[in-house]
Amino acid sequence: MPEPTAQIHAARPSRNVFRRLGPILLFCFTAVLAVLTVSPLLWMICASLKPGDETFSPNMLPQHWTLENFQYVFTASPFWRYMINSFFVAGTITVIALWFHSMAGFALARLKFPGRELIFLIIFSTFLVSLPVIIVPLFILVRQMGMVNSYAGLIIPAIFNAFGIFLLRQFYIAIPQELQEAAVIDGASYFRIYWSVMLPLSRPILAALAVFFFLANWNAFIWPLTITNDRNLWVVQIAIASFHQQYSSSWNYIMAGSAIIAVPTLLLFFIFQRQLVESIKTSGLK
Amino acid sequence: MRTLLDAPSKVEKRPVMGRSGPRLKRSQREALAAYLFILPDALGLAIFVALPMLFSLSLGFFSVNGFGGFRFVGLANYQRMLIDPLFRQSLWVTFVYVLILVPALYVAGLGLALLVNRPMPFVGVFRSMFFVPNVVSLVVVALTWQVMLVDKVGFINRIFEFFGVSGYSWLGDPNITLYSILFVTVWFLMGYYMIIFLSGLQEIPREYYDAARIDGAGPAATFFRITLPLLRPTSFFVLLVSLVSAVSGSQAFDLIYIMTRGGPDNSTSLVIFYIYQQAFQFNNYGYAAAMASFLVLILLIVTFILFAVTKGGRFHFT
Amino acid sequence: MKPSSQSEVTSSVVSSVTPTENPVPNSALSNLTRRELIIGGGKVAVAAAVTSLFSPFNIYVKAATPKSLSFWQFYGPGGGSKMQDQWFQDMVKSWNSSHDVKVDLLYVPNQEYMNGSKLQTAFASGQGPDIFIISPGDFLRYYNGGVLVDLSQYMEDAAKKDFFDTVMETRVVDGKIYGLPMEVEPMAMYYSHKAFTDAKLSEADVPKSWDQLIEVSKKLTKKNQFGCLFETGPGYYQNFTWYPFLWQGGGDMVTPEGNKSAFNSPGAAQALKFWQDTIKQNVAPRNELGGGGGDVVGNMVAGYCAIQNLGIWGVSALREGAKGFEYGVFPCPTPPNGKPKSVLGGWSFVANAKSKDPETAAKFCVWALGSMSDDSIGRVVDWCIKAKSDISPRKSALDKATQLGGYSDGAMKVFKDEVFPTGRGEPRVPPEVYKAVSDAIQACQLGGANPEQQAAEASQNIDAYLAGYSGAPLK
Repeated sequence: MPEPTAQIHAARPSRNVFRRLGPILLFCFTAVLAVLTVSPLLWMICASLKPGDETFSPNMLPQHWTLENFQYVFTASPFWRYMINSFFVAGTITVIALWFHSMAGFALARLKFPGRELIFLIIFSTFLVSLPVIIVPLFILVRQMGMVNSYAGLIIPAIFNAFGIFLLRQFYIAIPQELQEAAVIDGASYFRIYWSVMLPLSRPILAALAVFFFLANWNAFIWPLTITNDRNLWVVQIAIASFHQQYSSSWNYIMAGSAIIAVPTLLLFFIFQRQLVESIKTSGLK
Repeated sequence: MRTLLDAPSKVEKRPVMGRSGPRLKRSQREALAAYLFILPDALGLAIFVALPMLFSLSLGFFSVNGFGGFRFVGLANYQRMLIDPLFRQSLWVTFVYVLILVPALYVAGLGLALLVNRPMPFVGVFRSMFFVPNVVSLVVVALTWQVMLVDKVGFINRIFEFFGVSGYSWLGDPNITLYSILFVTVWFLMGYYMIIFLSGLQEIPREYYDAARIDGAGPAATFFRITLPLLRPTSFFVLLVSLVSAVSGSQAFDLIYIMTRGGPDNSTSLVIFYIYQQAFQFNNYGYAAAMASFLVLILLIVTFILFAVTKGGRFHFT
Repeated sequence: MKPSSQSEVTSSVVSSVTPTENPVPNSALSNLTRRELIIGGGKVAVAAAVTSLFSPFNIYVKAATPKSLSFWQFYGPGGGSKMQDQWFQDMVKSWNSSHDVKVDLLYVPNQEYMNGSKLQTAFASGQGPDIFIISPGDFLRYYNGGVLVDLSQYMEDAAKKDFFDTVMETRVVDGKIYGLPMEVEPMAMYYSHKAFTDAKLSEADVPKSWDQLIEVSKKLTKKNQFGCLFETGPGYYQNFTWYPFLWQGGGDMVTPEGNKSAFNSPGAAQALKFWQDTIKQNVAPRNELGGGGGDVVGNMVAGYCAIQNLGIWGVSALREGAKGFEYGVFPCPTPPNGKPKSVLGGWSFVANAKSKDPETAAKFCVWALGSMSDDSIGRVVDWCIKAKSDISPRKSALDKATQLGGYSDGAMKVFKDEVFPTGRGEPRVPPEVYKAVSDAIQACQLGGANPEQQAAEASQNIDAYLAGYSGAPLK
């Protein structure tokens, strides 16, 4: 593991050489590691620019560059529609989930009430449940609520997730007590404390969670597939899976589709990761 | 200092929402507010997770064929678990998987976070590059790696060949395949834990490092005496989340489903995959539910231990 | 195990809806003693209470006249192959223009259809499709679940006789037809002309025996290419492709009566060993590219292997995905003293007995594939030689397709004249038997286990399971 604090603590004269070379070496090391990390995805993007018969060729770069795969993805299927569906569904889930979870996390971390530990443990224990285990009863339930084949069915069951509550609770626990006390003394209501003190403080963690939630739901596959029958409700992941055939997978299309749907999430992360750092600086935690 | 639990004791009484009727005491008011804050999530989790889970658990006492036929069979499904060699094998595979994955993710996530938690040209770009595998859907990740790891002509084998090593089957040799899956899982998830560690690192007050420098502490000492202890809340979170998702196989399931289908020779048949297979391919919903309740029980125990050891995951900086 | 009435949950909903319910066979349950069953019976009250919790599992509302029936499959609309998608859409359009109860196509992505949870979730909650397609590998699961309609009651005798016996065998119970095949898909070997030429081999070197196959494959194995390829991923498909080698030497999974294992035999052991040898000799890979061993474009065309064990669908896959690729087809090689054998796969239309309108659903299947009208026969012809590349399951359609020249060129001719006559229908076995065989194949092929020992072990598992089995006979 690279030594993190080497640079900061290299004050002694004997370390002067290291002090100069260290950052350069670390930079090179990080760069190489980063390139290695993305290389499988570069392969994927290259494959999406190759004609079908070249997909498995040993060369990484295409011999014949083509945009035909991307063209196909957009013309052969209403791919825009699927992207809008995915965007709407994942976006809505993210916003509502962040709101609900931040309220619950705040209460569990900062307010005193009977049964708090128990409630938290029960909420947390739902985190131990994975979808394949409950998919049949969940489907029955959602069907009986009349939400099969609807946006509601895609969105509502996906909102509730103990992971976000847990993460936010951990975050609120770490916030200095004085901030809240000051607000209480000012006579602020609990909702006000939540809204005007806690929410602004939790911008970095909310940004990180927004990325996680959006990603998880943008990439969700089994539940959307189970709950929708109408093609107008398809999300991008189902569309991608439909390029995967019984006897001959159209790999070039799968890769082109994947490249397309990776772009929005990547952009989102890139924007948020800057904000993430920014907001940490201004959050008053330092 | 204890943490937040000690609510401020000296607080003046204030009128509640200016309404008539019996005035609530401050503690009651606080409790009421808390319940209201928790209500939406608690209700949703109860309906969409807890209720189906209870359904699912009680299915363990039935023989259910998935076409409307079911009979009460008592503990038969649980008895079957005891004698089923495939279940035993899947438990072992899961054990090995968890034992390697959790520490590997911790080290990789923290290592990357330390690497990109310093001023450096293009540091934002590097962070994005480490995180980017997580952006791609698991289906695509699995398909891509399947091609890269294939015998002889796969990208990975070509690299090894370059160094004079050949003949390994990353996804076809029962002795290797689980480690290949582990490698892909770490590659996929390390950026995610990097972000969590990064936000943990940035919350450590700068003054601690300054003080350490003045004391002349070396990098190793600083890391072990300051960084690591102050990262305890984050570490707890990372360990817990990675442990739970490793045992319940959230990521592994998709990868195995596409890349190996539990093979070769059942060497990647995790419990969660075996449960899925019994339910949806063999139509033994009852047996699958019995195994699922066993899995949840294990998770409960593990979580309980973690919570007990860390007193509810509550840490403080001083 | 015998259906145990004392422990049967008899809520009115259950009994009224599933009168002929077959209890799920379950190997551990077979160990239940009578005493345990009685204890179970004593708990009926508890069970009934739980039953009401699960009542959704058993709700099939009989609506007066449903407006439409759903048809789930993995071809269209929106599937990968234009022609196959079109064939399905044309069929449904034609039905809808002349019938009151309409049919809606619902496309489920292929991998999800075969291995996923969507269908199973739908069935488990009483929302299964009215019409769907299954392969023989899946037959018993659905039949024993009581969801298949007897289609023969809506068929003319002439039409019943028009289907090949070898094809129908695994879709018939007690003389009643429960699935109408749209296609017959025999397995054989494909080889790349270019790979043969590069290795200075000619058509005369096409292997006829297992030993020859390994010898030829050695010559074809290069730095970036394997000599031959057999499916390596565990699953129904792998078992399916392995059956011909099992049968060639006289091996079988179960006895002709279908109630005992026949797997512990020299025939099974040598077939297990043959696949193991291809790996041990380094002439076959341990995993595949693309969509798996059934994907010819992703493997042979990509240069990954020179010879590929593959079904007849490869012809249309090559036609669509690799124009100009030169290849040949030959029957699966045989062991010493073995007989040439192939396995006949293919999917069939079935109607859901728990549908709102099972009668119309069944009539649709018969109208589409199983009537003597020119339409119905022409549809089978179109599917088998135009949309896809298959042997027709119907004699009349096979004749017509032959007249149209569908089997006159190389590969299709080999399949029809040499492979199809040696074919036997894909066996129908319950999942537990499939799994026992699959584990044996995997352990030998990739785990290097002892074939005799694995055959014996699998045989024991099959027998243990069959002792308590009470569904339709295995075939």
